[in-house]
Amino acid sequence: MGQTVILGVIGSDAHVVGITIIEQALTAAGFDVENLGVQTSKAEFVSAADAHDAGAVLVSSLYGHARQDCQGLHERLAEVDCDAVTYIGGNLAVGQDDWSETAERFRELGFDRVFDAETDPSAVVAALERDLDTTVTETATDRVRVDS
Amino acid sequence: MVRDERIPGDQLRETADELRDRWPTGADADFEAAVEFHESLPESKRFADVLESADRPLLQPRAGVPRLDDQIDLLRYLESEGGADLLPTTIDSYTRDNEYGKAAEGLTEARESGENTLNGFPAVNHGVDACRELVRSVDAPVEVRHGTPDARLLAVVTLAGGFESFEGGPISYNIPYTKEHDLAETIEHWQFVDRLCGAYTERGVRINREPFGPLTGTLVPPAIAIAVMILEGLLATTQGVRSLTLGYGQVGNVVQDVAALRALRSLGEEYLPDDTVVTTVFHEWMGGFPPDEARASGVIGLGGATAALARPDKVITKSPQEFQGVPTREANASGLRTTRQLVDMMIEQDIVVDGIDRERELIERTARSLVETAIARGDGDAARGTVAAFESGELDVPFAPSDSAAAAVLPARDDDGRVRVLEWGDLAVPDDIKEVHEARLDERARTEGRSRSFRMVADDVDAISDGKLIGRPTATDGGSERRGATDDPASGGESDAD
Repeated sequence: MGQTVILGVIGSDAHVVGITIIEQALTAAGFDVENLGVQTSKAEFVSAADAHDAGAVLVSSLYGHARQDCQGLHERLAEVDCDAVTYIGGNLAVGQDDWSETAERFRELGFDRVFDAETDPSAVVAALERDLDTTVTETATDRVRVDS
Repeated sequence: MVRDERIPGDQLRETADELRDRWPTGADADFEAAVEFHESLPESKRFADVLESADRPLLQPRAGVPRLDDQIDLLRYLESEGGADLLPTTIDSYTRDNEYGKAAEGLTEARESGENTLNGFPAVNHGVDACRELVRSVDAPVEVRHGTPDARLLAVVTLAGGFESFEGGPISYNIPYTKEHDLAETIEHWQFVDRLCGAYTERGVRINREPFGPLTGTLVPPAIAIAVMILEGLLATTQGVRSLTLGYGQVGNVVQDVAALRALRSLGEEYLPDDTVVTTVFHEWMGGFPPDEARASGVIGLGGATAALARPDKVITKSPQEFQGVPTREANASGLRTTRQLVDMMIEQDIVVDGIDRERELIERTARSLVETAIARGDGDAARGTVAAFESGELDVPFAPSDSAAAAVLPARDDDGRVRVLEWGDLAVPDDIKEVHEARLDERARTEGRSRSFRMVADDVDAISDGKLIGRPTATDGGSERRGATDDPASGGESDAD
């Protein structure tokens, strides 16, 4: 597993501001970042992860369709023998969901860490520093509150 | 090469026929039957007439759920419990991306599970009859609200379905909403939509069109939004649109917001043809919201107060649950009522706010420069000029995800919380105006004891959700240090980082 971090907004979603700020934070922290931008398909995530021998794949979604968009992503990553850690963050369900249920659903899909929309970029940086330095990846769900 | 010329009638019909074959529901969209349906609607559902004849700002929420029955219930609730004057139907993101197959899957899942698995109403999948049932089931006029670069089939189906207002435009639904759609092609697609609205208009069914003013919704300098509204308005009127509602999104500084709405109205009336009725819409804050319903209601209240001062024809309201995505219907209605309370308490007061005229003059001069540069780049043709000006970066939108925009412009708030430009890119703005912005940003930098940089931008993006207007560094958290973001994201150029 390499050290490149793949970043993108999945599906038909065009919310660009958060990913722009995350990219800045990761670059400033010294990571090698490949930002695929908004409206990135599963196939584009997989081929970028494969091509760059990615260490981490970070999926962003703000518009509520993440569950449908992420179905099968981990299976496809496994097909190309990609062992990158995977994170997802944002507003992950339509409407006023119960966060712990939503987080659990995404863990079941295979994500190593699940972040909500208020996550500070520094929390992502800290998580990546831990996950990319160790060979054993702990499975954890992080919820970092900035405001409360 | 795209041109700002009216699409001939036979070409309109030919394209419409092709589009109807793209999804099975298209077959039911017969133009003559549609005109008849519109004529059968009572005056109270004529969107353009209701909006244009109002004597105070009308309130409209956003709302869209996947299933028809739920959408009808939701809209009725927003009328009865929220007091909405105008109704929306917000379209889901798969439909916006022309992914009707995925929308169909989501709709099936919604029907089976009872959950809202789509973030809006997939109108193309529902088809013409379902749209008519929706329009018949509510009392107020209904608008299609979306974010679709190629909205041609959506327009064919929903206008035949009885909707009398259609949001969006070739710039405002390309630059903020998509990565890969080509701007020239998007303009052609919207020429079709506008021409279709024009065809209804010729038959006495005046379809209202509403370019999307907030653009990327994140610290957009008012002059940029206004220039885009004027250009989209010009393109729409060429195709026969006669009812246009130009939009602007609240930035949160009251003086700048009132000035911008006044500038939008006066430049709209000046640039657009006399036979077109120009109205304005004010969007309550489109950026990140506080994760706390009480504080979010405060943001909404400031929107209502600003609307009472500026008197736009329409206000698009937000809900106190905005921070977590699609709100419950109760929260949506509460945003409407909060806004109404502020508007009704303030609208009869004669409140004089200092500085509005100066700010307005600055906005108007900047917007004029952008519009006239674009038109000049097309040798007088607004369509060609728009493409050329975005290509050169003379016209640009901050945080634009589209490949068609430079996205080199970066905004930041000044010491008074007004949105200024930190990085200009190649934006076509006279030097003396740039100097005003730079002086104001220097003032803020001095107040905060730091230099102008991307840190200010990142701090400003989060400021309102953090409970402030301006993203100032604070003693406790080191302010921008938390962000860890120091460089200019968009231009790739040097920034004067701390």
